[in-house]
Amino acid sequence: MNKTLLSIVVATSLTLTGQAHAGAHVEVYADFPITVKNYTGSKTHSEAYTGQIARHTLHNSVKKLVSKGASLEQTKAYFNGKETGRVIVDPVSKDEFAVLQTHVDKISTGKNLSGKAYKGLISGMPGGLTGAELLDLMLEKAAATEKGFDPLTGYDYTQLISKFTMGAVFYNQAVDNYLDEKLAADVNPNSKAYKEGKAYTGKEHIWDEAFGYFGAPAHTMKLTAAQVYGIAKQKADSFAKADYNNDGKVSLVTEMAFAHAYYAASFDKGGKTNYLHTIVQAFLDGRNLISSANGEALTDAQRSKLMSYAQVIKTQWQRLIAEAVFKYAGSVYGDIEKLEAAIEANGNAVKLYRNYAKHWGELKGFALALESGGVNLGETGVKLNRLIGYSPVLLGNTQVAALVDGEFVQSSSVSLSEYRVQMIKLQKLMIDDFEVEARNKNVTANLAQLVDSLGEAMAAEND
Amino acid sequence: MDWLFEFIQSWFSELMGLVSQGSKRIFFGYMLSATLIAVVWLMWQRQLNCLAAFRWLFQGKIWWSSSSQSDYTIMLLNQPIMLLLSPILLSKLALATTLFYALNDWVSRPLWFSDIPVFWVSVIFTSCLFVVDDASRYYLHRLMHRWPVLWAFHRVHHTAESLTPFTVLRTHPMEGLLFGLRSVLVQGFLISVFVFVFADRVTLLSLLGANVFNAVLNLLGSNLRHSPVPISYGKVIEGWLISPAQHQIHHSQARQHWDKNFGAFIALWDRLGNTLEYGSNSQELTYGLLGQKPKEHQLVTLYWQPFTSSWRYFWRSKGKLISTNNKTHVTSESQ
Repeated sequence: MNKTLLSIVVATSLTLTGQAHAGAHVEVYADFPITVKNYTGSKTHSEAYTGQIARHTLHNSVKKLVSKGASLEQTKAYFNGKETGRVIVDPVSKDEFAVLQTHVDKISTGKNLSGKAYKGLISGMPGGLTGAELLDLMLEKAAATEKGFDPLTGYDYTQLISKFTMGAVFYNQAVDNYLDEKLAADVNPNSKAYKEGKAYTGKEHIWDEAFGYFGAPAHTMKLTAAQVYGIAKQKADSFAKADYNNDGKVSLVTEMAFAHAYYAASFDKGGKTNYLHTIVQAFLDGRNLISSANGEALTDAQRSKLMSYAQVIKTQWQRLIAEAVFKYAGSVYGDIEKLEAAIEANGNAVKLYRNYAKHWGELKGFALALESGGVNLGETGVKLNRLIGYSPVLLGNTQVAALVDGEFVQSSSVSLSEYRVQMIKLQKLMIDDFEVEARNKNVTANLAQLVDSLGEAMAAEND
Repeated sequence: MDWLFEFIQSWFSELMGLVSQGSKRIFFGYMLSATLIAVVWLMWQRQLNCLAAFRWLFQGKIWWSSSSQSDYTIMLLNQPIMLLLSPILLSKLALATTLFYALNDWVSRPLWFSDIPVFWVSVIFTSCLFVVDDASRYYLHRLMHRWPVLWAFHRVHHTAESLTPFTVLRTHPMEGLLFGLRSVLVQGFLISVFVFVFADRVTLLSLLGANVFNAVLNLLGSNLRHSPVPISYGKVIEGWLISPAQHQIHHSQARQHWDKNFGAFIALWDRLGNTLEYGSNSQELTYGLLGQKPKEHQLVTLYWQPFTSSWRYFWRSKGKLISTNNKTHVTSESQ
């Protein structure tokens, strides 16, 4: 090959490489270039969301602690505290699913959940409390119960605290803070480092933080929903898919699935929805757009495009929480049916009541989460709260009605049977107002099955 | 062009479905059983040998008459027409869901039903579906004959002068729509009521992908109702179940047979409505309409004339639907 030909080949290759990089379809949320001007540090990439992942481990740990009947001091150490040395209670290594980090500090130091909990009013529970105050109250109440369950009110605090934390911290921070007010032009501008000496710009970091709160593995686009679901469940046969860098351990920062990403995967694996990949793709598109600004302030056009990606994320995220409300409304419906049958037959309802309370806790936690997205749900929110109420309807047809001097007070309510019907209305509300499509535990599913068995098609047959 | 390809593919698939799906009347399994029953009956009643019975059954003057040829054409053309019309019809699922929500709003569910075992729930559901579906068929069929506006469309079916199992598909698309709507209303209503009462314990007892009662009766030769084989069940059974001979009477030109035997499977409705006529193994009938002309088998007449006739009647009668003097079994020209 002569020199002229060689130089043409090299020049062409370089040009093509450059073009490929500029317009690359990046599939992994990693290795974004450093665009901060005059950066002198040792980092080689700009993405950073360890603080958010640390909070995911704190949330998982709090959930586990409450379910095991831990003391208030223990749970608060994870929820409110920032002390060093906290062991990650969950997720931990299992057989054939080794986890890299064992301490919260190994991910990020000085993090807690209470500091980021929603400070707005939560109308779905009595007492006029903010999201943060309600979580504090629930932690206190949980510590006074046996393994997080209060049979007198029907509150399963493990579920209530977990699902509401996901909403009041992760969802709220992402959609009401990072993907909202912090996308403004004059807030965390892209033309400056997020903080002096950091390897990322203001806009790069706020986008990363929102991504971190979603809880998806960085390589989600290379995985199916079922695989991401398996990773969150730490299934042995999902380990190879989780361990993207093949180092023999799953990094909780980049390779694990948490919180809403797990729920998105759980709905998507049914094949009717695509929340997980739609949201992660929007995060990737947004991040690539910010990187492409190369450390300059975003133009109006770029910021407008970024807002459109943010809107996709917000809409899909809200809808997947509504899917969870739909699903658990169906579970509660089924639980009440079983309870009614057991009561009618004078059977043992203890275990059935426990399941009912568990599913109600999940339902209520997700419903409260919907209130935490910084969006006024208006009439939908009112209906949502009225249909679910402040507690499950108890076997004597009573329900929590108020919070007086720190105690939940009950009064007479609709019957259990009427409450079951309210779950049908709740599912309909999720369809009508949030356009849920996965519709797990659909109480009208049997209608569709019977129509299928009879055939919906019309035939021009005579008699 | 993709849409055209997809449309033709759906058309072909619908046509194949007519013979491959147990929910369709001309499913090949039903055709086969009907053939066997007809051959055995001809050997028994008419003393024919097997080959002669086959020859009699498949005689060209019936299967390739101008009437039968138009049956085949309608079968081919109705499939794409119904594909286009289907989306305008109320969805069975939408109706069932709406009624289910409404029932939950209006009524509290009786709990004692929860003691009934799942199998019996399915038996009750499948039976109710069969009976109510059949009753609604009777009633709509009766209206088709009583209301000249509807008769204009239904007469397409009655212009068949030779009956083969394919005559069941000799149906104007407007009639197809009405029967589709009937099916949506009946099945949507029953599904919603049963799921409201029995929740997820309701299943359809099915055979060959169809309601087990329909499938069994189809296997027992219901296709022979549109055939030259006048199988009668005898008076006792014919008071309960419509025999092929009874339905052939429904197609008879003879004045005394007009507006008789509207039923599909169950004869009880005809008994209650004073429209029952017993069949006979030896009956010899002429099918079609009085004064019928050859042009009745032309496509324009079959598809377009019902609209003009229906409109003409509607205009003349100033919207009055029910005919007081029943002259439906004559051609429109004679009316």
